[in-house]
Amino acid sequence: MRRNTILTAIALLLLIGFIAVADNFFDLYIVRILNLCAIYTILGLSMNLINGFTGLFSLGHAGFMAVGAYVTALLTIPPDVKKQIFYMTPIMSPLDVMNLPFPLALLGGGLLTAFVAYLIGAPALKLKGDYLAIATLGFGEIIRVIFTNTQSITNGALGLKGIPNTTNLWWSFGTALFTLVVIASLINSSYGRALMAIREDEVAAESMGIHLAKHKNLSFIIGAFFAGIGGGLLGNLLGTIDPKMFTFTLTFNILLIIVLGGMGSLSGSVISAFVVTIANEWLRFLDEQINLGFVVIQGKVGTRMVVFSVLLMVVVLFYRHGLMGNRELTWDSLLNSKIWRGISARWRKTAVAEGGEK
Amino acid sequence: MALLDMSQVSMRFGGLTAVKDFNLQLHPGEIVGLIGPNGAGKTTVFNMITGVYKPSAGTIRFNGNEIGGMRPDLITQQGIARTFQNIRLFKELTVLENVLIANHLHLASNFMEAILKLPRYRREEAAMREKSLKLLERLGLLEHQNDKASSLPYGLQRRLEIARALATEPKLLLLDEPAAGMNPKEAADLTVFIKEIRDEFDLTILLIEHHMDVVMTICDRIYVLVYGTMIASGEPAEIQSNQQVIEAYLGVDEDAENQ
Repeated sequence: MRRNTILTAIALLLLIGFIAVADNFFDLYIVRILNLCAIYTILGLSMNLINGFTGLFSLGHAGFMAVGAYVTALLTIPPDVKKQIFYMTPIMSPLDVMNLPFPLALLGGGLLTAFVAYLIGAPALKLKGDYLAIATLGFGEIIRVIFTNTQSITNGALGLKGIPNTTNLWWSFGTALFTLVVIASLINSSYGRALMAIREDEVAAESMGIHLAKHKNLSFIIGAFFAGIGGGLLGNLLGTIDPKMFTFTLTFNILLIIVLGGMGSLSGSVISAFVVTIANEWLRFLDEQINLGFVVIQGKVGTRMVVFSVLLMVVVLFYRHGLMGNRELTWDSLLNSKIWRGISARWRKTAVAEGGEK
Repeated sequence: MALLDMSQVSMRFGGLTAVKDFNLQLHPGEIVGLIGPNGAGKTTVFNMITGVYKPSAGTIRFNGNEIGGMRPDLITQQGIARTFQNIRLFKELTVLENVLIANHLHLASNFMEAILKLPRYRREEAAMREKSLKLLERLGLLEHQNDKASSLPYGLQRRLEIARALATEPKLLLLDEPAAGMNPKEAADLTVFIKEIRDEFDLTILLIEHHMDVVMTICDRIYVLVYGTMIASGEPAEIQSNQQVIEAYLGVDEDAENQ
C-alpha cells in the first residue's frame, strides 16, 4: 500500500519533469503530437466509460466534442476577433462580448455538453445495442448539421478561426490526468460496480435494485462532459474549428482506441491513445510516394487509415479483448509481471556477482 | 395479513394468455411452491411479481402496497428479491463484486460523494464490504470471493445467486428452479439450506421447482399451474393425491377414460 503511494508519487514527479522538459525543449511538431495524445486519452477514457464499462454502444462522441469545442472557442475568442470572423452574418448579441478565462470556458463547454447529453439520453437510452448506436450516431450528425446552419452562433461552414492557442502540454496532460483520476474513482465505487452490472446483465441488474435509466444517464452524461472538455482542448490547440472536423470518422478514431486498448480497461485506453496517435503520425509516409526500387507507388492521402482498419479487423476477429481486456495496469500487476521479475532477478544476480568480486 | 396477495391476475401477450385469473396469498414465514408442467406460466408469475412484466389485469399487493407494473428496481427496494431459472450472474465480475452490487440500492451517498470518496461514502462502502463478506462466509463462498463469477462450479453459481438476492435484504425471496441440474444428494442439501436461510434471514419464500422431492419436503403449501390456470392449491399431501394434478403431470390414460 505504502510502496504503491510512493511509486505513484515518483511517477507523477517524472511526468511533471517530462512535461517541463518537453514544453521547453521539444520541437513544435512533437509537442503537438504529445498534446493530441493527451487529448485522445481524455476522449478514449470518456468513451470507454460509456461503451466499455456501462456497455452502452454509443457513437455520439464527435457530436459531444463539437459542442465542447464550439462553446470553449466562442467563450475564449476575443470580441474584436469575433467581429472579423463573423463577416457573413454578425454574431448573436450576448456571444459577441462574452469572454471567459480558458479554464472557465473549458468547464462551461463540458457542462453544456453534459446538458446536451442529458437531453439526448432521455429518449435515446431507452434503446439497446445497435439501435442505440444508430440513434446516437444520428444525434451526433444532427449536432454537426445544426452547427453548419446556425450562422449567427457558429459561423456555419466557415468555422471559427483565431481561437487562442491556450492548450499546452500542462493543460492537456493535466486534464487527461484529472479525467483518469475522476473516471477511475467512479469505476472503483459502488456506482462503478452498478454500471458494470448493467453491462453484464441488464435484467439481473434491475432486479438487484439498480435504477437502469438513472445509472445509464449518469454514465452517458459524465462521458459526454469529458468528451466536451476534450473537444474544447482540441479546438484551442488547433486554433481553428469547423463542422467538417466532427464527422463520424472522429468517433471511429476514438472507438478504434478503446477497442484496441480493451473495452473496460482505463490503462488500456491510455496506452492505446498514445500508440494510435503516434502511429497515426508515424504512418504518414504511407500517404506519400513510396519508391520500392522496382516500382513507385503514388501516394494517396488516407492510405494510413487502411492500416488501422486492418488492425481493427484483426483485433475483432482474433483478439477480442484488445490489449488489456478488462484488466488494469497497477503497480502490483506491473511488479508481479514476468518481465519485471526477469529484470530484477538479473539485477540481483549482477549485484551479488559484483559483491563477490570485491 | 398476507405478505403478498395476488388477486385475479392475468397476463396476456397479444392473443396468448400466459396466466389467467391467478390468485395467490403468501403469509410471512411460509415456504410456498409453485409447480406445473413446462410452459405453464410459472416464470411469468415471477416476472409479474418482480415488475419485469406489467400484469394485463388484476392486482398484486405486497405489504399492502400495490406493486403491479411498478419498476423492477423499486419492487426490489420494497423487499422482493429473486433468482433466475437460467443463472444470470454478473459473469465477468468477482464473487464479492456480485454481492456488493446487490447492496447498491441501499446506498445513500450520491455519485459525487462516491467519486470524491467523502466520509459518508467511505463509511457506507466499508459497511457494505463487511456485510457482504459476512454473507459470503455464511453461505460458504468466502474462499471464492476474488474469483470470477463465471469460474465457479454450477452449484456454487446457484448459491451465489441466492447470496446476491439475500444481499438486497428481502422480505420475500423468489427462487426459480433452485434445484435445477442437481443430483438427489445436492437437492437434499438444498432443502436444508433453504429452510436455514428462511429462519436466519426471516424470509418468506416462493419457489418454482420440478424436483418433487424438494417441493414436497419443504413447502408448507403448493400451487399448481397448468396452461396459465391454477388447478389446485393446498398442502403437499393434498396435492399429491389430487386427481387433476396427477393427470396434468402424468397425462390422462385414454383407455381408462373410455371405459
